Amino acid sequence: MKTWKSLGERRGLVRIRKPEFDEELPVGESVRQISRRDFFRFSGIGFAAGLALGCKSKVVEKAMPYLNAQEGLTPGVAQWYATVCGGCSAGCGVLAKSRDGRPIKLEGNPDHPVSRGGLCAIGQAQTRGLYDESRLRGPRVDGKDVAWPELDGDLAQRFAELRASGAAVRVLSGTLTSPTLKASIQAFLGTFKDGRLVQADAFSCAALAGAYERTHGQKLIPRYRLEEADLIIGIEADFLGTWIDPVGFTRAYASRRGPDRARPMSKHIQVESGMSLTGSNADERVRLAPSEVLPFLETLAQRLGLALDVGALSSPLMAKAEAIAHALEQHRGHGLVLCGLNDLRAQELCARINHVLGHEGSTVDLANPSLQKQGDDGALEALVREMSQGKVAALVLLGSNPLYDQPVAFAAAFGKVPIRISMALTADESAAQCTHLAPDHHWLETWRDSEPLTGTVALGQPLLNSLFNTRDAVETFGAWSGRPASALQAIQNRWKADVFPRQKNMGDADSFWNATLQKGAAEVGAGTAPRYQEGRVEGTTRAARTAGYELLLYGKVGIGDGRHAHLPFLQELPDPITKATWDNYVQISPAAAARLGLEQGDLLRVRPEGHPLELELPVVVQPGLDDRTLAVALGYGRTAGGKAGLGVGKNAYPWRTFSTGFLAADPAPLQVRKGSGRIQLACTQDHHSLEGRELVREMALAPYLRDPASARPHEPTGPSVYGEHPHGQHRWAMVIDLSACTGCSGCVVGCQMENNIPVVGRDEVARKREMHWLRIDRYYTGSEAEPGVVHQPMMCQQCDQAPCENVCPVLATVHSEEGLNQQVYNRCVGTRYCANNCPYKVRRFNWWEYPHQSELERLGLNPDVTVRSRGVMEKCSFCVQRLMVAKSTAKSEGRDLKDGEALPACMQSCPAQAIVFGDVQDPESRISQVMRDPKRFLVLGELGIGPAVSYLTKIRNGGSISEASPHEASRARPTGGLAIDGGATEAQGGHHGA
Amino acid sequence: MAHEADVLTGPADVPIGKADHYGHNLPLIDGNKSYHQVTEEVFGPTERRPPVAWWIAISITLSMLMVGVWGGYQTVTRGIGTWGLNRTVGWAFDITNFVFWVGIGHAGTLISAILFLFRQRWRTSINRAAEAMTIFAVMCAGTFPIIHMGRPWLAFWATPYPNSRGPLWVNFKSPLLWDVFAISTYFIISLTFWYIGLLPDLATQRDRATTKWKRTLLSLFSLGWNGSNRTWSRYETVYMLLAGLSTPLVVSVHTIVSMDFATSVIPGWHATIFPPYFVAGAVFSGFAMVLTLMIIARKVMNLEEYITTRHLEAMTKVVLATGMIVGTAYATEFFTAWYSGNPYERYVFLNRALGPYAWAYWMMVGCNVLSPQFFWFKKVRTTPWMILILSIFVNIGMWFERFVIIVTSLHRDYLPSSWAMYRPTFVEVAIFIGSFGLFFTLFLLFTRVLPMIAASEVKGVLKNADH
Repeated sequence: MKTWKSLGERRGLVRIRKPEFDEELPVGESVRQISRRDFFRFSGIGFAAGLALGCKSKVVEKAMPYLNAQEGLTPGVAQWYATVCGGCSAGCGVLAKSRDGRPIKLEGNPDHPVSRGGLCAIGQAQTRGLYDESRLRGPRVDGKDVAWPELDGDLAQRFAELRASGAAVRVLSGTLTSPTLKASIQAFLGTFKDGRLVQADAFSCAALAGAYERTHGQKLIPRYRLEEADLIIGIEADFLGTWIDPVGFTRAYASRRGPDRARPMSKHIQVESGMSLTGSNADERVRLAPSEVLPFLETLAQRLGLALDVGALSSPLMAKAEAIAHALEQHRGHGLVLCGLNDLRAQELCARINHVLGHEGSTVDLANPSLQKQGDDGALEALVREMSQGKVAALVLLGSNPLYDQPVAFAAAFGKVPIRISMALTADESAAQCTHLAPDHHWLETWRDSEPLTGTVALGQPLLNSLFNTRDAVETFGAWSGRPASALQAIQNRWKADVFPRQKNMGDADSFWNATLQKGAAEVGAGTAPRYQEGRVEGTTRAARTAGYELLLYGKVGIGDGRHAHLPFLQELPDPITKATWDNYVQISPAAAARLGLEQGDLLRVRPEGHPLELELPVVVQPGLDDRTLAVALGYGRTAGGKAGLGVGKNAYPWRTFSTGFLAADPAPLQVRKGSGRIQLACTQDHHSLEGRELVREMALAPYLRDPASARPHEPTGPSVYGEHPHGQHRWAMVIDLSACTGCSGCVVGCQMENNIPVVGRDEVARKREMHWLRIDRYYTGSEAEPGVVHQPMMCQQCDQAPCENVCPVLATVHSEEGLNQQVYNRCVGTRYCANNCPYKVRRFNWWEYPHQSELERLGLNPDVTVRSRGVMEKCSFCVQRLMVAKSTAKSEGRDLKDGEALPACMQSCPAQAIVFGDVQDPESRISQVMRDPKRFLVLGELGIGPAVSYLTKIRNGGSISEASPHEASRARPTGGLAIDGGATEAQGGHHGA
Repeated sequence: MAHEADVLTGPADVPIGKADHYGHNLPLIDGNKSYHQVTEEVFGPTERRPPVAWWIAISITLSMLMVGVWGGYQTVTRGIGTWGLNRTVGWAFDITNFVFWVGIGHAGTLISAILFLFRQRWRTSINRAAEAMTIFAVMCAGTFPIIHMGRPWLAFWATPYPNSRGPLWVNFKSPLLWDVFAISTYFIISLTFWYIGLLPDLATQRDRATTKWKRTLLSLFSLGWNGSNRTWSRYETVYMLLAGLSTPLVVSVHTIVSMDFATSVIPGWHATIFPPYFVAGAVFSGFAMVLTLMIIARKVMNLEEYITTRHLEAMTKVVLATGMIVGTAYATEFFTAWYSGNPYERYVFLNRALGPYAWAYWMMVGCNVLSPQFFWFKKVRTTPWMILILSIFVNIGMWFERFVIIVTSLHRDYLPSSWAMYRPTFVEVAIFIGSFGLFFTLFLLFTRVLPMIAASEVKGVLKNADH
C-alpha cells in the first residue's frame, strides 16, 4: 500500500486558544460547595417546581406510545414515542425514549420513510437542546420578562393598527415542513392586507427549485432515489453530509455500496473543490476549483447532447468531463447527477442532463418531490429591499436567525422594522435585536405534523410538558390572529380535513390518526410528475479563473448551518474529515500550503477581494482539496444563543452574496496574507497515514468478484497463556462493514447520549483527552493530492483475551461470560495500566470530575448508566444496559431473546446500517452469518487477543470512469486508467488477498 | 591494568595491610588512623551542631520537598488532569520517576549484600550511606505508584487484605500487584539489613551520648548491645543471613518492575530482554547515585580518608561495566526489532531514534553509553570532580532511559489514529522535584543523626587493625 507521511505532529505551538468556558473547569466545586442547607434548599425548590408543574391546569392530551401501549407510566421503565426530529428541515423520524417523564435519548424510527431508522449526529444531540440552559424562560417585551397575555395584549394593539393602516407584515422562517404551522401562519398573515410568509434557508437550495421551474414549470426539489442509481455523479453536493436529506440519502446510498447487496454495487464519482464527507466515500474524485464547476457541467451537458455555449476548461478536466459523459451514456436511465451549487445555470444544466439521460422516473422522482428545502432566496432578497425602504412594519422570525446567517444587508435593514418579533428558543443574534420575544416550544414539547416528502406525512408528539413558559408557534399565531386553538386541535382538524382523505388504507380518521401516531408516519398517495419543457439554458457561461485562490463555503456534519452551535456535544464532534473540534478554519491543499509556507495551525488572513470582512483563521492542510480552493466552514462564530457556541470559530456567512440572484459564496478571488502566530487546533487525530499497517483492508470490486475468497485475511494466532474463557448463554459480537460506513459520525453522538459521556471542551480535546467511547478513525491512502479515504469506527473491541484485563491490579476490568469486557467503575483505582496496554487505545480516563453543569442539563442523563467520577477508567460496554433490558424483557415474557432485539446505540441509529451486532452462539443470527463473510478481518488479530469486533473489507468500485458499466458490475473488470489510484487499489487488493 | 584492578579483584583472603600478590601495599583507609580517631571522625558530626552549610542545604531540599507536596496536593484534590497525560500516553513522569528511584535504590543492597558475600572489604566505607540511600530512594519510588492512581485514597485496594466484599480479591496476574509485593519486600528487607548493621554503631553512639534522652533512645534502638564476643558472633551470623536473603532481591525487584512493561502487548515494552537489562540499568544508576552522593559527602564532611579515591575508582569500574551492559541492551533491542520482522516493533525503535522524542533517546545514549567510556582512563577514575560530573550524566541518562521506554512506546503504538504527544505539566515536574527534595532531606538528616560510615566495620579494615 502506498502511504505517505504525516502532515506533522505540531511542535512548538505558541499559544492555545481560548478554552470552551472562560473559567477553569470547576472541578468538583459544584459538589463540594453545596452545603447540607443548600441541598435542602434545592430539593425544596425541586419539590415545589414539581408540584407547580403537576398543578398546571391544562387539557390532558393523550400521546400514543410506540407499539407497546401501556396503561400507565411505570417508574424506571422506558417508553418510546414516535415523533419527528426538529434538528433540521429534513424531517427524519425518531423514536424518543422517555424515562419517568423525561426524554433522554433519540433513535431512528425504522418505520419512517425518510430516515428508515437512521439518525444523524445533530438529531442525536437534540435532547440536550431541550435541556439547554440558554433557552428562553418565557416571553419578553423590550427586554423585560412578561406574561403571555401581556405580550399578546401589547401585540394585539399594534397588529390592530397595522391591520387598519394596511402596512406590510412579514414572517421569516426556515423551511416549514409542517403544513399546520404553515396554515396557521397564513391564517395570521391573512388578517393583514399585506402579509407574506418568506422562507429562507441558511443552506439554500433555491436555485435547484428555480431550475425545475424553468425545466418543468414548477418550483420543486426532486426526490432523489439513490437506491436506484447505478452511477452517481455528485457535483459539489455533500449529500451524505449536509445536503437536503443526508440521513435518507445515506440510507439509500449505502444500500448499494458493497459487493453483496441485493443489487449490484453502485459507482460514485464526486466532482468537488473541497474534500467533503461525500467525496471521501466516492470511488473516484475529480478535483477542481469552484469557478471550474460550471464550465465542467457545461462541458458535460454539451457532450450529452445539450446545445449551449461552453466555458473554457483545462484539458485534463475536459477529458474527465468527457469520461463522465461517456459513463453516464452507458448508464442511461440508471444514473443520477446531483449538483449542490446554489446557481441557477448549474442546476438547470443538471436538471436537463437528468432529463435527457432518462433519469426522471427512476432516480429522479418528480412525482413526490421533496419539501425539505423550501427557502426562496429571491423572496429573501426582496424582503431585505422592502425592509431597507422602511416598508415592513412587523417582522416575525420563526426558526430563523437572519442576523447571523444572512448577508450583512439584512442586519442593516432589520433596524428599520418597528416591530421585530422572534420565536427563537434561545436569545440568538436576531432575538437580541427584537422588540418582542415569543419563544416557541422545543420540538420535543409540542404536537407537530410534517410532510417532508410529498405524500409522506408524519406526526410528532410531545414527550413532556413545556419546561419553561414557552408557547407553541401554532398557538401563538392562533392567538395573534384571534382564533386561539391548541396545536393538537389544529393538527387534528387539518388531519381530518386534508390528510385523511388522501389515504386509502383506513376507513375512519381516528384509527388513521392513532395508527400514524403510533408508527410515526404514513404514506398517502403519490402526485404526478410535471412535464418537461424544452428551452434555452438560463444565463451565460462564466469562464473559469485559472489563477488565484477561490472561496468555498461549506457546512460541517456536526455543526451544519450553526443553529445548534450552542450544543457542546456537536462542537466536540470531530469533523469526519479533518478530525478537528471546536473550531472552523481555512482548509488549504498540501501543495498550496507548501507554496504559501503554511503549516497546520498557522493563522491566515482571508478576504474576498473588495469585501469589507477579513477573517483570521487557522490553517488546516487538507489532502484532496483543490489546489486553488480555500474552504471555510459556515456555522461558527456565534455571538449569542448559548455559551458553548460563543467565540468558537469565525462567522463566514457575511461572505455570501446575492450576486448571482442566489445566496452563494462571494466569487471574487481571495486575498490571503499570513496572520500573526499559530494556534493549536483541537484535533482528535493528528496522524493520517496507515504507515503501511494492515489495520484497514481495502479491495477493488473486480478482483473481489472474481474470487471472493481472496478477500479472506491470513491471521495467524498463537496459543494463549490463559486458555479460553467459559461462555454462557450468549456471546456478543459486532461486525462493521467498511464499504457501508460513510463516517457520518451519528454513532459517535448517539453513543455519548446513551452512555452519559461528558463533553470536555476545547482545551482538553487539544490535550487529547476527548472522552468518546466510539471514535471514527480516518486514514488517507495514495497520494497527498488525491488521496483515498477510509473511515473506520473504533470502539472497545471486547477482546476475548483482553490485554487490559490481565494488568489491572484490582480486577476492575473483567470478562463476562457473554464475552464482554466489563469495566467496574466502583472498583477502579485509576492506574491507567489497562489503557496503556490497550492496543486500540479506546479506553478513556476521567482526568477531572467532569461537571454535568446544571440541574437542567442533568435531566438529559441516562439513568441506566452510571455517571463516572474522577480518576476512573471507562470505555465502550457494547451498551450493556441495553442488552440487560432486552434480556430481562425476554425473560419476563418467558421466551428466548430474539436476534436483533438487543442493539447497541451506535448500531440502532446508523444511517448506513454498517453495523451488525448479535449473539454468535445463535447459528441463525445475522451476526453468525456475517461472521462467515470472507471479507471479515480483525484489526490487530495477529496479537492473539481475539477481538469480538471485526470489520468487513472496504470494497471500492474502482476502475476508470468510462469503463464503469452497471450491468456488468457483477463481472470482473481491470482497474486503472483514469481512476484515482486505480492501480494502487488493485495492488492493495492483490496484496491483501495474498 | 592489573595495577589498578587490585582493589576490586584482589582475593579476599589476602590480609589487609599485608602486601597483596601484586606486591603492593594499599590500605583501604588512608591517614593511618587509630580506632579513636575513627570514632571521633565518624561520630563527631552527629554530636555537634550542624554547620551553616548544612542548614542552607536542608532549607533548599525542604523547599524542594514543599514544591512536591504542592504538586501532590494539586494532583490529589484536582485530579490527574493536572498532569500532561492523555488518552494515548497514560504513564509518563509518574512511572518514569518510580522506576528511576527504584533503580537508584539498587546500589545499596548490592553493596551491602553482594559485595559482603564476595568479601569485598572496600565496601565498608560506603555501605552505610549506600544502604541509607537505598531506603530513601525506595521511599521516593513508593510515592509514585500511589500518587499516579486516579483515586489514590483507594490505594489499599491493591493489597490482598481480608475484606467484606465476598470473593473480591486482587489480580495476581497483574504485574502492578507483583510490584506491590516486590517493592514492599525490598523495602522491609533493606530497612532491616540497614538497621542490623547499625547496631554496633548505635551502641557506640549510646555510649558517647551526653544527654539522658539521647542515651535512653539509643539504648532502646541498640537493643542492649554490649560488645561481648557472643553479641558480635550473633551479629555476624544474622548479618550474613540477611545478606543472603537480600541478594535475590537485588535481582528480583527490578526484574519485576521490568515486567510491568515486558508482559504487556505494547511494542517497545513487550521484550524478553527487559529483566536483565533493567537489573543492569538499576545497578548502573544506583552506583552512579552513590558516587554523586559520596563525592559530595566526603568533601563536605571531611571523610576523604575513609572514602578514598580507590573506593571511587572501584565504583567507577562497576559503572563502566554495567553501562556497557546497558549499551549492549540498547543495541540488542534494535537488532530484535529488526530481526522480528514485526512492523510495529520496528517502527517503535525507529521512532525512538528518529521520531519527535529522538532528543530524549540520544540524550539517553549520550549519557548512558558514551559518558561512562571516559572511565577507561585512570585519570578520570581517580579525579573526583570528573567522576561527579559523569555520575550525574549517568543519573540523567538513566532517568531518560525510563522516559524513553515509557513515553516513546506509548505515544505511537498500534493505531496511528491515536498517536499523540506528551508534554509534562508543572505539577508533574513539581512532584519530581519534590521526590528529590524528600530524598536529599532524608539524606541530610541521616548525615547528622546517624554515623554515615560503618565505624565498627571500618575499624576491622584499618591497616593497623591486626597490630
